Amino acid sequence: MHKVLSTLLTVLVAVGASALIWVAANMVFNQVRHQWRRFTAMAFAAVGFLVGVLLSGNRITKNSQGGFLSWVWLPLLLAVIFAAIGVVLESTSDTRRRQGVGVSSGVLLGVGVGLLVRKQYHPAIDIVALLGWTVGGAALVGAVNLVRKRSLVTGALVGAAVGSILGGWGSAAIGAGSAGGAMVATLIPAVLAGTRLGFTNNPNLQARARIEQRSRGVIFLTPAMLFIFITLIVPTIRTIYLSFLDKSSEAFVAFDNYVNTFSDRVSWDASHWTNMFTSRLFIIGAIVLAIAVVVGVVSKRRTGRAVEIGNPTVGPLLVGFFLVAFAVFTSFRGTIVNNLWWVVTVVFAATAMGLAIAVLADNAKNEKVAKSLIFMPLAISLVGASVIWRFMYVPRDTSTEQTGTLNALWVGLGRLSTGSGLPTIFVGVLVGCILLGLIVYMSRALARSQPTRTIVPGIGFVLLAWFFVRYTGLIGDGVGGFDITASGQVVPRAISFVQESPFNNFWLMVILIWIQTGFAMVILSAAIKAVPGELLEAARVDGGTPSQIFWRITLPQIGTTIGVVVTTLIVLVMKVFDIVKVVTNGNFGTQVLANDMFAQAFQFGNTGRGAALAVILFVSVLPVMYYNIRRMQKGN
Amino acid sequence: MSEFTPVPTDPGPVRLEGGRPSKGIGARIYGRIARIKGPILWLIVILWSLPTFGLLASSFRSRDAQRASGWWNIFTGLNHTTLDNYRTVLNSKGTASLTDSLLNSFAIAIPATIIPIAMASFAAYAFAWIDFRGRKWLFILTVSLLAIPLQIALIPLLQLFVSGAHLSLPFIHKTITLIPDFNLAGTTTAVWLTHAGFALPFAIFLLHNYISGLPKDLFEAARIDGADHFTIFWRLVLPLSVPVLAAFAIFQFMWTWNDYLVANTMVGSNPDAVPTTIRIANLAGDFGRNEFLLPSAAFVQAFVPILVFFILQRYFVRGLLAGSVKG
Repeated sequence: MHKVLSTLLTVLVAVGASALIWVAANMVFNQVRHQWRRFTAMAFAAVGFLVGVLLSGNRITKNSQGGFLSWVWLPLLLAVIFAAIGVVLESTSDTRRRQGVGVSSGVLLGVGVGLLVRKQYHPAIDIVALLGWTVGGAALVGAVNLVRKRSLVTGALVGAAVGSILGGWGSAAIGAGSAGGAMVATLIPAVLAGTRLGFTNNPNLQARARIEQRSRGVIFLTPAMLFIFITLIVPTIRTIYLSFLDKSSEAFVAFDNYVNTFSDRVSWDASHWTNMFTSRLFIIGAIVLAIAVVVGVVSKRRTGRAVEIGNPTVGPLLVGFFLVAFAVFTSFRGTIVNNLWWVVTVVFAATAMGLAIAVLADNAKNEKVAKSLIFMPLAISLVGASVIWRFMYVPRDTSTEQTGTLNALWVGLGRLSTGSGLPTIFVGVLVGCILLGLIVYMSRALARSQPTRTIVPGIGFVLLAWFFVRYTGLIGDGVGGFDITASGQVVPRAISFVQESPFNNFWLMVILIWIQTGFAMVILSAAIKAVPGELLEAARVDGGTPSQIFWRITLPQIGTTIGVVVTTLIVLVMKVFDIVKVVTNGNFGTQVLANDMFAQAFQFGNTGRGAALAVILFVSVLPVMYYNIRRMQKGN
Repeated sequence: MSEFTPVPTDPGPVRLEGGRPSKGIGARIYGRIARIKGPILWLIVILWSLPTFGLLASSFRSRDAQRASGWWNIFTGLNHTTLDNYRTVLNSKGTASLTDSLLNSFAIAIPATIIPIAMASFAAYAFAWIDFRGRKWLFILTVSLLAIPLQIALIPLLQLFVSGAHLSLPFIHKTITLIPDFNLAGTTTAVWLTHAGFALPFAIFLLHNYISGLPKDLFEAARIDGADHFTIFWRLVLPLSVPVLAAFAIFQFMWTWNDYLVANTMVGSNPDAVPTTIRIANLAGDFGRNEFLLPSAAFVQAFVPILVFFILQRYFVRGLLAGSVKG
């Protein structure tokens, strides 16, 4: 309970204080238009308070050590004095008098503060440095003002004031000087600032309105901009800087961190790439691609186009492409390859599944319930999802019963396939019936001279037929999780889904696909519902078949939305971290960039390498994000 | 690759309210597929819910039952279900207790939601309705910060929380402390500060889209009546923006509640300040001993977001749609 209270208190104080400051700033600027004097007093008081905080907060002045009271007296005093100066200044618009007020208040404050400086802070004034900085500052800001077509004198005065602070305090040895030094070092900037103050004049109503307008923008923006600056802009620049330093950020190593990242066997291992050509994935993929070419030629002869959205070439082309891609990704190994594999697989699978479900659910019964259930994983944390799937994947010792869902199914299938009981026969007959049904369907389509309609069922037929011959033992011993020992005994064999490289990567991807399909579905479903009804109606009147209407009208209509989903997912998948960290922590060949970055920076203490990995991640999502933002801005 | 095949086979979302098109092979095949659409959909739904349901079932089974058989055996032994796992997880004195980390999660998620909303709504209003020079450029800069993946800011932010920020001035060889060391390393404050910063560009972008779309006449009328910006913001803009504020709040709450990366970086080493996600990941790490508590712990962690999800789904979807650009 204590913990809750203290947390609550911290938050309340932080939020309350910030809100108070913000509201107070607004109140002050409410006075600008009609109560200029009141505004001047309040604004000057605020500046005085800040100067006081700076002085006593850093324990520079006397009697500032100790509790809250000894800290706060100087800010309050300075607030009152500053407010008085403001009021006096406001009461006259005669330039010479204002000059007098400015200079004399500068002298007054300079002497007063100079007397208050603690002995430990007396600076040993270096006259050359002081003069140098003062003149340099004056020249710099004066020149800037000249360029901006502003007054040279006021600019020079501001520059000189800032320069004299840097010269008097910055370049001097603090604590080695005398009280006189402190006096000089406070008096000069104070007088310079006071003189600059004298150059101001009381604004007329129009100018006040302008001040109010501008300051309001500043007040409304400052909190957010300050926060963004501190938590985003500066850290980003610093990370880029750190990526050029060594592991403990001591020596400059130029591009070594990047070169090492790319030459490392962990990030890029091409030593086994020739295995690719002998892998089953590659061979089958090549065959499917060859089929795609044949279909494409036929299609070209019939319709004039080889590849077209929704024509029969697309199916085998995609399947072939993914088979070959998987062959490539499983032969080339390493962090970067893994990341690419993640992006290709998860983005495509989640988008495709999301689209399919969105279409299936459109106007279905209980559409909302179905969609909610698909969508729900998105509400669960990635850590939670990883835990959920760990229980799906868990392999148990084969002497006991499998408790992981997938292994139970796999081992069960093996038992069915190698067994000879009634269930075995039942499944065999069922698959056989489906195969027969597919044959009937395809031959009917062929008889009606619609060969394109046989492509997709054909692929299904080939896969199922392969399963059938394996299952019945026509080729091999059966299908499923089992081994046959030397003595001819059949023993179960579970799959270690998260440990068997390289396909454990795929099983990790399934987790993210499971989550992100819901995201794709929701967005695509909204887009499908937004396709104008007249368009579909017109297509139907013109005699378009439902599948034509989908491929030629609905799909192009939601094209932009598909782009949104794809780009969003690319960025999200590039940064995948939680799943890998929780399930394998990058072991068993599943390392990805984000997890490698975390490990290097926060576990191995290699800041340079970690920063370089972060920059690589940043650069690789940059084009996609740029595209995304451009699109969003066009949308508005 | 079988999971990819549904797309090409699918006939599409044709609405049939205007009566079925007359004969023709396409229509007949469509009719057949339309009939199996429902079953296919529900098959997918069941497949999708299976992992979650399996874990839910496991969470009610005792340690021995979980070890002996899979979750589906819960149907054959419903009378063996138990709430012991939940009791252990929610007991503040156990080794696998989740209560402290639940408090930490709230201590992170609540300020990480409120603070960016406040700051972003100020900024969004300024970008939308206050004229000042460089407004457009500043806004574009802010929005382009959406692109920054948060990994790139983690190392310097951790350094900031550990040792403050110091600037070594060139030429005069003095180091100025810009931000002192507030001893924030390993506290929940460090986590929500980080979240608040990362959320701002997105929050500003989202709120600006909405606030800039409010009718202009409203503001002119208020100005003529003598209202200043502060009044307009407080009395007019905030009440009108409740839907978008809610959408962002839900999105941000879920995001921070479910976050693992930022929390792990900022408090990973301090067991007293870890949120639920880290606690559960650690439970998953020590294999065996507490594994039987993982299902119930995961459900306790997921309870809050799932509740938010089912009650406020409409807002959640809206925030999600807009949040698709978050870096």
